[in-house]
Amino acid sequence: MVSKIVEVKNEAGLHARPASVLVKAASRYKSDFTIKMYGYSVNGKSILGVMTLAAEYGAEMELIFDGDDEEEALKTVVELFENKFNNQQL
Amino acid sequence: MKELQPKVLSGRPAAQGIGIGKIWILADDNKPVHPEKIRNKEVRAHLEKYQNAKKIVTDEYEKIKQLPDDFDLGEIIEAQIQTLNDPEVEKLITKKIEKELSSVEYAIFSTYNDYIQLLEAADAKWANERTIDIVSVRDDLIQATKEKKRIFDVQAGEIVFANDISPTAMVKLSHINIGGIVMEKGGFTSHAVILSQSLGIPCVINAHWDRYNITRGNRAIIDGSTGQVILRPTRRQIDEYEKRREDEIGRFQKALEWSQKPDKTKCGSEFKLRANVEFLEELPKLGSHGATGIGLLRTETILFETDDFEVEDQIDFYNNVVESVNNDSVTIRLFDAGGDKLIEGSEGESNPFLGWRGIRMLLDKQNLLKRQLEAIYRVGGIHPGRIKILIPMISRIEEIRTVKKFCSEVQKSLELSGIAYDKNIPIGIMVEVPSIALMAAEAAKEADFFSLGTNDLTQYTLAVDRGNEKIAHLFDSFHPAVWKLIKMTKDAADDAGIPVAVCGEMAGMPEAAACLLGMGINDLSMNSSSIPRVKAVLCKNNLTDMRFLSEKILMAKELLEVHALLDEWRFY
Repeated sequence: MVSKIVEVKNEAGLHARPASVLVKAASRYKSDFTIKMYGYSVNGKSILGVMTLAAEYGAEMELIFDGDDEEEALKTVVELFENKFNNQQL
Repeated sequence: MKELQPKVLSGRPAAQGIGIGKIWILADDNKPVHPEKIRNKEVRAHLEKYQNAKKIVTDEYEKIKQLPDDFDLGEIIEAQIQTLNDPEVEKLITKKIEKELSSVEYAIFSTYNDYIQLLEAADAKWANERTIDIVSVRDDLIQATKEKKRIFDVQAGEIVFANDISPTAMVKLSHINIGGIVMEKGGFTSHAVILSQSLGIPCVINAHWDRYNITRGNRAIIDGSTGQVILRPTRRQIDEYEKRREDEIGRFQKALEWSQKPDKTKCGSEFKLRANVEFLEELPKLGSHGATGIGLLRTETILFETDDFEVEDQIDFYNNVVESVNNDSVTIRLFDAGGDKLIEGSEGESNPFLGWRGIRMLLDKQNLLKRQLEAIYRVGGIHPGRIKILIPMISRIEEIRTVKKFCSEVQKSLELSGIAYDKNIPIGIMVEVPSIALMAAEAAKEADFFSLGTNDLTQYTLAVDRGNEKIAHLFDSFHPAVWKLIKMTKDAADDAGIPVAVCGEMAGMPEAAACLLGMGINDLSMNSSSIPRVKAVLCKNNLTDMRFLSEKILMAKELLEVHALLDEWRFY
C-alpha cells in the first residue's frame, strides 16, 4: 500500500471535469484507490464518490493505492494534481 | 365525443420564431419509480437487465460522443459514461437487487437519488448543474431496462415539450429539424435556450404545459416572440399562424439578401454590425448573417462549463473564435459572473444583481483575472491588433485603473518570460451602471472605448429586476431615462475622442438600432440572427431620418411617446 497527501491546486476545486479526468486515469490501474478527506473516504474510481467530496481549491486529501501497480498509479495521479488536471485529454 | 378546446398558455419568450406542429413529449425526467419487491428466482433476471441496460446506454453515449465536433460536449458525455459505469453505484445496485430483493428499476432509481442528495447537501455551485446530468443517466438507464427502449423518435417539425432539457438531449435534438421547444423550467442562460437562439428554433420557457391534458400527436403552436403556446389550436388559428410564420420567414429571407451588402445607409454613411457570441457552435453562421467580427464575446459560460478554466484552455477557445472571423476584431468581455449567473461564493445574496458580480468578483479573485488577462494577451500575440478587452460592471473610475494595473503586470511578466503578446490591446468598459454613465466624461479619460450594455443599464436605471415576473412589464429599455444616459455617454465619448458601441438587446431591434445610429452610434453588436433585419432597416434608410428620429426620442417624456415614434420603424 502506498499513499500521499496532495492539495487541490486548481482554482475551481475538484469538480466534474477534473473528477472525470481523475477517475479515468485511476481506472487504468488494477490497484484499489481510496481517497480520504476530512474523515471521509471514497472509492477514487467512482466519479460520483469523488464529486460528493466537493473538494475546494486548497483542500488536502490522502491518496491511497493498494495493489500490484500501486507505485505507478500513485505517481500518475499525483502528477494530475500537480498539473491541475490540465493536459489530460479526455 | 366532445372536442377538446384549444388552450392558450403563456411562458417566457426565449428564442424567436413561430412553430406549428405535432406535440412530442420528452419523457418526464422526474417521474418517481415506486419501490417494488421481486422474488428470489427473479434476482438473476434483474441483475442481467441492469447489465444489459448499462451496455445499451453506454453504447448510445459513446455514439453521441462521436458526433461531429460542432458541440463541445465531449467532456460532459465522458462524465456521463463514468456516472453510468461507476463501480460504487454498480455495487450498491447489485446489493439492492440481491439482498433487498428490489426491482432493477427501483434499485437504479434509489441509488442515483442517494448520490443526488449527497451532492445537493455538499452545496457546491456546480451541484445543481450536475444533478440534471445524473438524472438523465438514471432515467436513460431505467428506460433501457424496460422491454421497450426509450424512444427518441422525434420527427422533423414536431414541437418538443419537456420539463427541462439536458445537454445530451439538446445535442440529439439539434440534429433534428424540430419545430420548437416548450420547457417547464429553463433559464435564459441554459444550454437549451442559447442553442435554440443560435439555431433559430423557437423556444418558450417557464410554460406550465403539464397541467394540461395533452398527448403526443396533438397539435400545438408556439410563438417564441411572445411566449404564447396554443395547445390543440383551431384550423383558423393554424392558418393565422402559418401566415405569420411565412411572413416572418419571408422577411428574414429578404433581410438575408441585405446581409451581404456593404454596411452603409441609403445615403452612404457607414456602420458596423457585430455579433454577440457565447458558444463556439454559434460561429459558423456569423458570415452568412453579415457580421463584422464579434462585438461581445461572453466568457463566463465557458468558465462554468469547464469548472476550472486554465490559461491553455482559454487560449484555445479565444484562438478558435478569433480565427473564425477572418480579419475582423473580437471584443472579449472579462468573466461577467454573478447576477443571474452564479459562481461559487455568490449564493445567498439577497440582491445578486446589486451584488458580487462582474469586475467586483474579479478583483476579489485576482488569480482568475490574471489568468484570463494572460490568455488574452497571449492570443493577442498570435493575432496582433484584433483583440479588445471589455471590463464588465464598472461602477467607479478606480476599478478601471486597477484593471489596467493588472494588465501592465501581466504584460511585464510575459515580457520577462519572452512570450509573444499584443502590447496595444484597447481596454474598454461596459457602461451598464448609471453611476458610470453619469461620470462618462471622467471615465472616458481612463477607458479606450465604451460599450453600452442596455439590458443592465435599464434594470439599474429603472430599479426593475429583469428576472422578476411580477414587474416584467416595467422593464422597458425604451424608457426616456435610458435614452438620456445613452446620449450622455455618447457625448462624453465624443469629447474624449473614444469610440462607443452598443452590445445590449436594444442593438438587435431594428427600430432602436435606427435611433442609435441617428445618435451617432454606428457600432452595434447583437445576437447574429438579428443582424439581417437590423441591417435591412439601416441600409434602406437615410441618416437624416434616423437623426430626426433620435432627436424626437430624446425629447420624449413618456414611454408611450417613445413607442409611438419607434413603432413606425419596426416594419420594413
